[in-house]
Amino acid sequence: MAAIGGRVLLTVALLLGACGRHDRIVVGAKNFTESDLLAEIVAQQIERRLHVPVERRLHLGGTFVCHQAILAGQIDLYVEYSGTAFTAVLKHPPVVERDSVFHQVASEYSRQFGLRWLTAFGFDNTFAILVRAADAERYGLKAISDLSRVAPRWHAGFGYEFLERADGFAGLSRVYGLHFAAPPTAMDLGLTYRALADRKVDVIAGNSTDGQIAALHLVALEDDRHYFPPYEAAPVVRAGTLERYAGLARALEELGGKISDDEMRRLNAAADVEHRDIRTIAHEWLEAHVP
Amino acid sequence: MTAAVDVRGLAYALPGDGRTLVQNVSFTVGPGETLVLLGRSGSGKTTTLKLINRLLEPTAGEVLVAGEPAAALEPTRLRRRIGYVIQEVGLFPHFTVAQNIGLVPRLEGWPADRIAARVRELLALVGLDPAAFLTRYPHQLSGGQRQRVGVARALAADPPLLLLDEPFGALDPITRVELQREFRGLEGRLGKGMVFVTHDVREGLLLGTRIGLMQEGRLLFLGTPEEFRGSTQPEAVAFMSAVDPGPAARG
Amino acid sequence: MNLLSFYSRNSAELLGLTWQHVYLVVVSTGAAIVVGVPLGIALTRRPAWRAPVLGLANVFQTIPSLALLGFLIPFFGIGAWTAITALILYALLPIIRNTYTGIAGVDPAVREAGRGMGMTDGELLRLVELPLAAGVILAGIRVATVVSVGVATIGAAIGAGGLGVYIFRGVATVDDTLIMAGALPAALLALAADAVLGIAQRRLAWQR
Repeated sequence: MAAIGGRVLLTVALLLGACGRHDRIVVGAKNFTESDLLAEIVAQQIERRLHVPVERRLHLGGTFVCHQAILAGQIDLYVEYSGTAFTAVLKHPPVVERDSVFHQVASEYSRQFGLRWLTAFGFDNTFAILVRAADAERYGLKAISDLSRVAPRWHAGFGYEFLERADGFAGLSRVYGLHFAAPPTAMDLGLTYRALADRKVDVIAGNSTDGQIAALHLVALEDDRHYFPPYEAAPVVRAGTLERYAGLARALEELGGKISDDEMRRLNAAADVEHRDIRTIAHEWLEAHVP
Repeated sequence: MTAAVDVRGLAYALPGDGRTLVQNVSFTVGPGETLVLLGRSGSGKTTTLKLINRLLEPTAGEVLVAGEPAAALEPTRLRRRIGYVIQEVGLFPHFTVAQNIGLVPRLEGWPADRIAARVRELLALVGLDPAAFLTRYPHQLSGGQRQRVGVARALAADPPLLLLDEPFGALDPITRVELQREFRGLEGRLGKGMVFVTHDVREGLLLGTRIGLMQEGRLLFLGTPEEFRGSTQPEAVAFMSAVDPGPAARG
Repeated sequence: MNLLSFYSRNSAELLGLTWQHVYLVVVSTGAAIVVGVPLGIALTRRPAWRAPVLGLANVFQTIPSLALLGFLIPFFGIGAWTAITALILYALLPIIRNTYTGIAGVDPAVREAGRGMGMTDGELLRLVELPLAAGVILAGIRVATVVSVGVATIGAAIGAGGLGVYIFRGVATVDDTLIMAGALPAALLALAADAVLGIAQRRLAWQR
């Protein structure tokens, strides 16, 4: 009964744009800036190469929301991260065999879900365990292992997805032996940066390519025990959509390997720190890098 | 003996436009006397009443209650020494009859047994059986019973002066006559000064020791009921002719 | 049922979140009463204040809850106190308005008789106006409380805790059991508050 309720909720939430779907491609995005940016780049690339109308469903929700959406056909594609797919969706324990992750994810997605992973963009956006630069200096924090020293006196703050995911807080605290003063404060993901900067919490889990890390004087701690898998971003597309639109795969492959870690950080900063319009950023980047 | 109330040159002008509602009104009411203020609607009789207990502040003139200048007292202290009975009665719906009557004594800090005794005494005085009525609530009373309680409440702290603003005006004719008769009997026994406002001539003639006729804020006539009956003052004549001469005179 | 086994496995956490939720509602409603009832009384004494005060309280009520929380974050940061501030602002209108209406609705004859008898303003308020208005005032508190239980669930988005935590976790992971785990107790809390205050209200309501 509750399961049906959840499905209904999701369908209603997504129905808003799902009318007359045969003539357009729907691109989804997760609920953070980088995902919106990549979705916009993908969307504009499709428009300029295929001349097909593209509908954007940006900031849709977390990983699980987007996964349900693409399975249900409410969106045709979105950008996912290999590590996230590996642990959160396919529910494998985090693994150290970094090179095999992408390959394994691609083949299982194809087999289980009828979804295709196209070429990765070229950067690794792993979880960044962030602390204030001042604290890093005062307590000599360089790696996540160092955190276990101060954890008993500190408060952590995380978004809801990180708290629920298998590769999230539970595994992290176990592998690194982190025992905080109290259970972490849960809040909307977007607020965690502000909470850290305002000293409401002492450590958060951000993204390594976030634009605000430098701007807010934060430091990312090194994952010295290699707890997190690689998170390579790539477009994930429904097989049926690839078949229906000739040239879609080729258009998206053009984007493969074109964005480095630093490049992604620059794009994120343009949106989050300089507050520039996402459409403009995507447009300029495409003009410059994919003529 | 000190007059219950002594009013000299009382006047009241509205704060906004300065219109005078009461002008140069003077009278004295001794203990045991009832002054009936008679007049049309808007003649200033209710305003005059409220100037005595300072629900309205006089713009000129003086009021002495039991020899003391009213203006010198704190208004709430003054009002506790004056009984006030209004047409709508205004009993507190969430208090029993006993609690309603005993309110001022309670505010004055009387001991509980003294209050209880006084309440019983007053209920009997206004013709209500204490046993039956002590614990009733106002919504359980008829209009006439409510006004009896209203009078009892006004008498509770034994004030030297009673102000009554058309107290029987909202009652049906039969009950009204009944209460008027009983009130007449009470007047003599209580020995208090009373100022009784009404527009009903017959009521005035029945209950008043003296009649004060008001028109447009002025006191036109002040005299006994007999003098009023024979007065040639045009307003007095108008009032007298409005009195129903009786069934025999009907054609 | 999935839900029951979830509760038995996480009973301590459920209790903790419920307590947080109750805390948010009780503190904010209490503060709104402390501020709102005297304000409502003041409005009956100073008619000129009515329009601006009721107007302002109305403005707060019209702002959508999430938006109001967003507005408050720059001033109060994230956490329970921001949520409590928002809840107070929401609770003000029903409490102020009902206090004003309750007292203003007292029969004018009763007020005149009271004044004429020599009751001070304070005695009139304490012995007559407030007891007669109590039922209406409590109705306003009841509305404010029930609304607060609902709005408090949104506080979880800004780190205020409470039963909304389960709901947000469930929405993020498309987990219906988690969503229900938060929604059900929240709804029950609202119903319970409504029932209890409804009884109190009926006891205090007076026939005029």
